[in-house]
Parts: sequence; C-alpha cells; structure tokens
Amino acid sequence: MRYLIATDTGGTFTDVATFDLDSEKVSYGKTLTNYEDLVTGVLVGLAETDATLRDSLLLKHGTTHVINTLIERKGAKTALVATRGFSDLLEIGRGNRPIPFALGYRRAEPLVERAHRYPVTERMGADGMVLVDLDIDELKSLAIELQRQSYEAVAVSFLNAYANPAHELAAVELLREYLPNAYITSGTALTREWFEYERSSTAAANAYVGAGMSRYIETFAQKLRAKEFSGTFYMMGSNGGVLSIKRAIEQPVALVESGPIGGCIGAAAYAGALTMPRIIAFDMGGTTAKCALVQNGKFEVQPVYYVGGYEYGFPIKTPVLDIIEIGTGGGSIATVDSFGRLAVGPRSAGSHPGPVAFGRGGEEPTVTDANLVLGRISTDSFMQGRLKLDLAAAAKAIDEKVAKPLGYTGIDRIDRAAQGILDLATASMAAVVKEITVERGHDVREFALFPFGGGGPLFATILAHQLRIPKVFIPPHPGNFSAIGMLLAGARIDLSRMIVAPVQVGVVEKLLDTLEQLENEAVQTMRNELGAKDVIFDRTLEMRYRGQKHTVRVSFDKDADVITLLDQFERVYEGRYGHLVEGSVVEVLDLRVGAEAILPKPDLKKLALMPPPGSLPKAQQREVFFPLPHGRMSTPIWQRAQLPAGFVISGPAVIEEFSSTTILLPGDRAEVGAYGELAIDCPTSGDRA
Amino acid sequence: MTTNSGFDPITLEVIKHELVSIPNQIDKNITRTAFSPLINEYKDYAVGIVDAAGALISQSKGSLAIFVANALGTAVKDGLALLGESELNDGDVVISNHAGTLGQHLNNVVMYTPIREHAGTGSIVGFFCVLMHWLDVGGATVGSCLSTNTTEIYQEGIQFRSVKLIERGLRRKDIFRLVEYNTRFPKTLLGDVESQISGCLSGKAMVLDVIQKYGMNAYGAAIAAMWDQAERRVRSAIAAAPDGQYYAYSYLDDDGLDGHDDVVPIGITVRVAGDQLEVDYSNISAELAGPLNAGRNGGAIAAARIAMKYLFSPEEPVNEGDFRPLKVVIPDGTFLSASPTAAIGSSGSMIPTVVDTILRAMAPAFPDRAAAAHHGTYGIHAFSGRSPVTGENFFHLDTCVGGWGASRETDGYGPSRSNVHGDTSDVPVEMQEAFNPYRIESYELRTDSGGAGLHRGGIGVVKTYCITAPCSLTLKIDRTKCLPWGLADGSEALGGHVELHSGDGQVRSILKGTYALEAGDRIVIQTAGGGGWGLASQRDPNLVSSDVLRRYVSPEAARDVYGAVMSLDGRVDIEATFQKRLTTTKETK
Repeated sequence: MRYLIATDTGGTFTDVATFDLDSEKVSYGKTLTNYEDLVTGVLVGLAETDATLRDSLLLKHGTTHVINTLIERKGAKTALVATRGFSDLLEIGRGNRPIPFALGYRRAEPLVERAHRYPVTERMGADGMVLVDLDIDELKSLAIELQRQSYEAVAVSFLNAYANPAHELAAVELLREYLPNAYITSGTALTREWFEYERSSTAAANAYVGAGMSRYIETFAQKLRAKEFSGTFYMMGSNGGVLSIKRAIEQPVALVESGPIGGCIGAAAYAGALTMPRIIAFDMGGTTAKCALVQNGKFEVQPVYYVGGYEYGFPIKTPVLDIIEIGTGGGSIATVDSFGRLAVGPRSAGSHPGPVAFGRGGEEPTVTDANLVLGRISTDSFMQGRLKLDLAAAAKAIDEKVAKPLGYTGIDRIDRAAQGILDLATASMAAVVKEITVERGHDVREFALFPFGGGGPLFATILAHQLRIPKVFIPPHPGNFSAIGMLLAGARIDLSRMIVAPVQVGVVEKLLDTLEQLENEAVQTMRNELGAKDVIFDRTLEMRYRGQKHTVRVSFDKDADVITLLDQFERVYEGRYGHLVEGSVVEVLDLRVGAEAILPKPDLKKLALMPPPGSLPKAQQREVFFPLPHGRMSTPIWQRAQLPAGFVISGPAVIEEFSSTTILLPGDRAEVGAYGELAIDCPTSGDRA
Repeated sequence: MTTNSGFDPITLEVIKHELVSIPNQIDKNITRTAFSPLINEYKDYAVGIVDAAGALISQSKGSLAIFVANALGTAVKDGLALLGESELNDGDVVISNHAGTLGQHLNNVVMYTPIREHAGTGSIVGFFCVLMHWLDVGGATVGSCLSTNTTEIYQEGIQFRSVKLIERGLRRKDIFRLVEYNTRFPKTLLGDVESQISGCLSGKAMVLDVIQKYGMNAYGAAIAAMWDQAERRVRSAIAAAPDGQYYAYSYLDDDGLDGHDDVVPIGITVRVAGDQLEVDYSNISAELAGPLNAGRNGGAIAAARIAMKYLFSPEEPVNEGDFRPLKVVIPDGTFLSASPTAAIGSSGSMIPTVVDTILRAMAPAFPDRAAAAHHGTYGIHAFSGRSPVTGENFFHLDTCVGGWGASRETDGYGPSRSNVHGDTSDVPVEMQEAFNPYRIESYELRTDSGGAGLHRGGIGVVKTYCITAPCSLTLKIDRTKCLPWGLADGSEALGGHVELHSGDGQVRSILKGTYALEAGDRIVIQTAGGGGWGLASQRDPNLVSSDVLRRYVSPEAARDVYGAVMSLDGRVDIEATFQKRLTTTKETK
C-alpha cells in the first residue's frame, strides 16, 4: 500500500494527483471532464499517473456533482413535509430583492414547487415545548399518498425544530418505514440552528440531491472495488476536510463546494509550513477567480452558502469554506459597449470556442488573448504546446474589438488595449479581495498573496501592486494545486448547537456540558466511520452583543470563565471593528466544534520538483509588454523546474512551468524557497495601478 | 487617450470600478456591526460618496431604493450652506435629519464626513455619507415614525440640522448625550451610531486612497465620465419613446386620521420631449393633516427618481447622471412637498403608490419596460411592549410582502416587499417567536390574489398571528381601495385586508392605527397581489393548469376568469380548453 490518490472532477478538467509513499514522488493526470460518466473520467486520469488502485491506501474525491445537480435542476422527484401553515416557506423566502430596481427581478424557482409541498399537523414552541402533538394518523395517510405518487426523496422540516427535533425524528422514522426506497432527510439532521427558511431550504436541497448522490457514490465505490481497490474512499467536504462515504450519503449538501476546496487546504498547509500568519489564497482559472483568507494556518468556514449566488439563489446551511468568487478568468470576454465603456467578463468563452488564440472559432478577445499579445504567455503555454496559440488572430481581435472602438491610435494601440483588458480584470479581482478583507474588518496590506490555478501566478504581482500587498508566495504546481491540496486534507466534521445565553454566571457550565456531548458525538463518528483514534478539536463560540445580527468567532478553552470569555470577545471584536460597545450584554449564540483526524499525507518538502542546489539555470529572452512607463522590454524567460532553492530572479522576468506562468514586474524580486515556493517581494511605494 | 478629458478611458473605467465598489464594501461592514434589525436585516440605510457640491458619485446597491433620491447629497448641501466649506474640517462628522431639508421622517439620519485632499490638509473633494434609520428619535410614539395621528413635526422626534457629532476627530460628548437622552433605545441606537461613524471614516480613507493612487485630475475625469455615460444611456432610452403627454391617476385609502375616510388623489402627468422627461405633480392632494406627507426632496423628487431608475437603468449603479434628464414640477404645499412643520412620520409609506402611478403614466410610452401595479404598500405592522422572555421593552417592525405586476415579458414576481425596498429581509419567524409575545400560526401564499392575465400578477400572502401576552400593534396598511391595476387588459389583483379577531369572538377590519392586544387575540394579515398583463382568456392553458396544481389559482377562478375547462377532479383539461378557445375565437370573428 504505497499510493495516496486525490481526484477532483471540475467543470472543465478532471485532475488526479497521486503521491508514492515509497519514492516520495508526486504525479499527475488530467483529462477533460466526462459529463456522461464522471467516474470513468477519473479512472482515465488515474491511468496517466504512476499509481495503481490495488496498491493505494486511500482515495479522496472532490466533485461538482452536487452543485451541478442543484444548478441544472437534475435532482430527484422530491416532496417537502412542513408544519401546517408553513409549507410555503421555500417560496416566500425572506421577501427581499437583492437587485432593487429590476421590475423583472425573479429569484430562482424553489427546488420543490407548491404542488409537492405537504403540511402536517404539529407545532413546537420556541422554547422546545410541544404546543401541538404530531398527528401520526395524518402523517400515515400522507405517507401512503407520497408512496402512491412515487416520490424518490422526501424532506421534513418543521418550525422551531432547532429547539426540539423530536417531531422531525418521529416523522422521518415513520416515512422511512412507509417509503423504504425513497431518500428521506430532515432539517435538523443537517443543522441545529434557527431560521426556518434556511433550514427548510437545506433539507429540500439535501433530499433533491440525495438519491442521485447515493447512486453516484455507490457506483464509484463499486468501480473502485472492481479495480481491486481495498483502501479507504473519502469524499471531499465543503468544510475543508474529507468525509466518510456514509456521511457523504447522509449529507450530500456538505459536498456542495467540494471542488474548489482543495487549493485552500493546500494554501493553509503552506501558510503553516512557511509561518505566514495571514495569507489570501487566490485561485484563478478559466472562468472565475476565487479568494479566501487563511489566518494562522486556518481558513474561515461560513455556516450558510447560496446556491446560484446571493442575488438570485437559495441558501443551504452547511459549513463551507469562506470563499468569494467573481466571474473573471482567462476566458473572460472583453467588450466595448455603445457608450465607449470597456467591460471584461462576466461572459466567458470557456473552452468552447475558447479564446480567439485557440483557433477554435472564438471571435471575441479574452484575457488570455491579451496575455498572449503582451508576450506574458508563450504560444506553447497550453497543454504543453499541444494547443498552439495564434498570436496574430488574438492581436487582430483586440485591435478591432477593443483598440479601435476605444479610439486608440498609434503603433502601440494593441498593446495598450491589451494592457487595459488586464487592468480592468485586475480591478474587478482587486475589488473582490478587498471585499473579503474589508467586510471582515482586516487591512488587505497585512496579508501576503498566495496565488494558484492556471491564471493566479499570471496576475499575482499586478494584483499585489494594485492592492499594495508587499509579499507574494507562489506554491509548487500552481496549475494542479487543487488536487495537491486534497492530498493534504484531513478528515473533518463540524458540529454546532445553539446556546443563546448571556455571558454570566452559569454559562460556562452550560457550554462545557454541550461541548462534552458534541465531542463525544464527534469521536464516535470518527471512530466508527474512519477508525480514527487521534482527533483534534477546534472549539469556537459565535458571540455578539445582544441584538446584533452578525457574530464574531472566538475560540473556547475548556478552562475559560466569564471574565476570560468577555476579554476574548472584546479583543476579537475590537480588532475587527475598531470599537467596543460599553454596557451592552454579550451573548453566546452558538457553540461550534470542528473535529479533525489527520490522514496519511505527503511531506510538503517532497512536493516540489527542484534541481539540486547550486545548479545553474539559463534564461531565454522574449519581448514582453509591461505597464507604462515601461512598454515592451526584452525579458528573460525562466523555466521553473530548473530553478534550485535559493535562486534569485529580479524583474522584469517571466517564469514558466507546466500549466502556469509567473510574471515579475520591473522592481519585483523572487527567491526560490526551501519548499520550492517562489517568494516574491513587490515594492509598494509610489505605485500606480 | 481619446476622451474629452484627455485621460485614458480604461484608467477612468478602473477608477469608476473602485468608486462604485467602496460603498458596497462599507455596506457589508455595517450590516455586520449594526445592532438594530432595522439595519442588519431590513437594510434601512444607505452608503454613498458625493462630490464637493453634494452630487451623487456612487451609492451602495443593496440598501433601500427610497434613498437613491438625493438624501445624501441634500443633507450635505444644507451643511455646506449653513456651515460653509471652511467649517467642515478633516475629522468632522456631521448629522442631519432636518425635515425642511430632507423631507423624510426624522428617523432617517444622514451622517457625513468631509474628504479633504492631501490626507486631510487640502480642499474638500467630496463627502462620505452613511444614512441610517435610527430606531427611535423620541416623539409621541415608540419608534417615532409610527403614529398614524400626529399633526405636526414636533410630535415625531428631535431634529438635528447639520450638527457636528465629532469635531476634528474629537467626540462631542454633549451631543452624544443629546442623542442618548432623546431616544427610547439608547443602547441599541448608540451601537448603530458607532457602526455609522466607523462606516463614514473607513469610507473616507478608501476614497482618499483612490485619489492618492490616480491623482485628483483623473479622479475628477472618471466621475465626469461616469455621469455622462449614465446620462446618455437614459437620454437615448427616453428619446426612443414618442413625444407626448401621459397621464395616470390613483389614490391612497385615506390620510389615517380618525374619521377621515376621503381618498388621497394622486394625478401624475409625464411629459416626454425629445430626450427629456418631466414628472408633473400638479394634480395631487394638498398637504394632509396627518403624517402621510413628505417634503419635496423626500417625496416628489425621490418618487420620480425611483421610477426613472426602474424604467431606464435598473442594473446599473446609481449616480447623479441617471437623473439629469429629469425635471420635476410640483407646487408647494402638496402632500409630497409638505411644509417643514407638517407631520411626515409616514413619509415613505405612500411612495410605492406614487412610483406605481408614475410608471402607469409612462407605460404607454415605454410598453417594453413597464409592468402592472404591485401590491403597493409598506404595510407596516409593528409590535411593541415588554418581552416576557428578556423583561425588556421590545419593538418589532415588519412590513408586507405581496405580489408584483406582470409585464409583456413575464408573470409578476412575488411575494416581495414594496418597490421602494430592496434587499430587505423578513426577520425569521423562529427569531420572532423566541423573543416576542406572539406566535405566528401560518404564513402562506394567498390563492387567487394575483391579477389575472395573459401574464398573471404575482401572489400575496396570508399571515396569522396569535398573541400570547399583552402588547401593542401599530398598523399602516394602504392600497385597499385603489387595487393593484393590470396593464394591457390584464385584471387587477385582490387588495390587502387585515382582521383583528378578539379573544371574545369579535372580528373587525383594521388598517391604520394603534391597537392594544391581549393574549388570545389573533391578527390575520392578507396582502395584495400584483396586477395582470394582457387578457386572461389568452393565457396558455398549460400555465393555467400548473397555476391550479400549485394553488396559485383556484379551480373556480380558472374556470370563471381564465375560461378553462375543468375536469371532474378539479384539474384543468388542457386539451378541451385549447378547443374551447379555438371555437370562441371563431365565433367572435
């Protein structure tokens, strides 16, 4: 048993990364995602690597299956059973319109339409006392009706069930008995927090994807067994840890952002190893850019996720790594509107037809075309040169679709237009990075930038200058970083309970009591599902001044008392918002426990492919355009695989590697670190965009 | 290098991106730090940047629609007039809720800080502003703006006209005390004020950062370009419509005072001339005795601007250029241009109907852009009293969600809040029940509430409260007489309706007023739907069938209003309905 396998089924590519524990060597496979048969796509990618399933200790799998099912509405025939009087929650939502002036505004249709939502008589009070008993006879008749209509999945969500889930539990048990072949789930089995719309929406989504996801996982497991795989099969959770198969089948919504998580886990691992207290993980691919904060080696996890985005989508309450996404990527299309305004994205040329330079019928210039025209990437930079890029076509498209409509003239008009496309794309991405920092009360300049994905390293320094971030770290294998990160992931479950109590005498006892229950539950689960012995706990409290909507997260020590709790809350609050509110009651809203078990993983130092120290790499030269006042400059082009630890490069320079390119602006300085990372200093004084 | 200003158009575009994103970033920070649910759930605030003369540069996108008027700039202009530029120093934070300036209820307090070039030492280049609905500013009733029978402004709270809360970075403790002792909820309010101050100061720093990065000239050119582009977009849309004079009429139920049952007329004339638009309010009611008034800025101009934004640039960030083609005509002393001493507690409540009416007038000129009427009311229902859970005073303000109007393109949306709300969220039932002395027994869609049509109007709701301990309810419901109208032969929607079922079995209809409630009382609120578009008899039988399956439309209405043929099990017989329609069409030919 010598191999560890991680595989990530993305929108365009299926990535596989493997690690050989004997030779301590990484290898990769990459295939186009096979939408008809995702599992076979993984097996094809795996065949490109050194590993064999028979000799593999574990296989971790991230997939976009859940989010695709929800977005494309390909889920099961689903019924929702709700408290009488509240079966329309999914449709009423919270009554808001995030796009205020659009007469035609319309939120995505509810997953379960009104004809499939059924009321049942029962009522819990907000204090968890039963106000109206669950009407068992009524529920039995309903179960028979659901059976008759052959629903494949049923979600149960009752009002105030967060305070007492007894009725939900009873209803689920009865429904499972009457509908043995249907997938049955309930709101409180997924979240024990209040907010009835969000919980119902979560239950509905879980039911909607549950039946299909169970089949997907079971088929996958079967095919693995057929290839004599006898290791452990894990699914990548949105919370940054892998889940057992059993849990993934019970809570498929926990896999909703299964795909993009890997890179963030990798970023956190490097941040820890390189002792960088604050980094911004920045992932840029073909259609989107994403960013997340990693502080002290930890990423933040958000309790709510909006499928289809906040503005038009619906919420699910499941811990998801706190990632912000924007529709700017290599394929983003540049257009000039009738008012002479340049826009970049959110429309994307994707992989079909792709950028103009791909020569596959794309006619609208993209970010990738601009990079090519400016010499920032070479004509051989895609698929190791198997996809030759057409420089002349890209230049012509930028000239006709951007430079001329903007009224640019002169010989350098195409360069300036191409640089403009990059500047605008950078401005959009910078706004997102600022949003994630400012909104959370941080100063972006206190962070280091940690870029990956095919486009991340290309934009890293330009973005750092724009945001005045002085330090950039580019990890090894940025183009395959998502799968690498997954290799490093541990197993993780997150549990929480609502507390809602002021910080005063007695609260600590209550917290410790609940903590013990949660930790026992977590240990049991880890032991039973994963055979894990050593479990590390991450204990936090969501605290706030009474009346505030948002909470701050404060870590919770077992020996805490009222004084230390208040102290800690004030420290975190003041750090974030710059002021305290004297005399207000501080309360604990939730207790959260993250339980993590470490799984066998590669040594970070072994991941980079570096030549022996002291070897002397050679650079070629190419003309590359740099933002004015520089313009076109003859620029050294380095191959990253030839750079030994300790090697120093001064900008302007280009560093190329498999599936990614790093740009150093004039004045920047890069040094190859012990982990194979490129540590880049970006001087921030006197900058312009 | 081809813009009139001589600056690179892409650089200007990059600066615009930054200026548009700053208020949105501050907006999110405020949602997180504010205390009152009115701020963090209801989003009753706005964040923006105005220039040195008070013209709007950019404003947060999620906040209430009603603030796109010129609340921010109007407050700043008054400060400039009263204090002068020389008295507005770096580090000053000024507040204003002056009725004569803003013309909106006194809870709306604009706070702003001057942005001076060269890290605060140079001349004023703009102001960073945060408007917040203060939970309570004194006056006769809890929440200040909720009374239905005030008759002069002095009963509605304290006024701050261009008052410095902070002077050159130093807090004026006397003014803070003035605030603290003129509100019923000092802790919550002062918490909100902290968040408002911190929003102003962080926003100012971010704007200065942009100016430092690109230089004052490029900054100025970017703003000028932004305004020009917005203006050109709106002008070209207006120019596409035929010139002419368009008129629409509607009315509010009454002015809310006891014994006053007369409707409040709203006659709107819109004149399209070339690329210019004029909204004329000459045919509206005179100033009212009760609080259903607004000043010129908060009333007439706000409503006209909102209507314009809906029609011409819904998806674009708002700025001063959007409104350059607009002229507003209104005599003094109407209920939308009330005198500075008039009661204006309900200054926002009637705006949804006014906006609806302006849109109705414009519909013939812009048939592709217009929609039928929406439910048309804030529909405030606010509970207050002593919470049996916390032992403290509680105040819970809610508003109605209802149907929106159908258009040439689609069915109406809903349920959602009024057209002057935006990203305004319901407080979850579970949160309300945890603290307030009532239970909500049901919250469901209201069958048949949407106006019938080729495109059906959006659906309203029915919500039932059961009171569990004595408390008080303040209600301000409107549009129950002038029902949400249809367009292009579409039908009107069902109107709103509220009933109080007393423990003793008595039932009465209530709309505006304050009511003492006892345990066992029930409140049933039914909200209106949106108007339909086009003839109901032409609606696709497949859609009528699905409406019946979803109980949006009852089988009876499907048969009687949509002319569907029903099968014995209460479903639409789609095939037979198609057949019947064919026959009917032939007969009428």
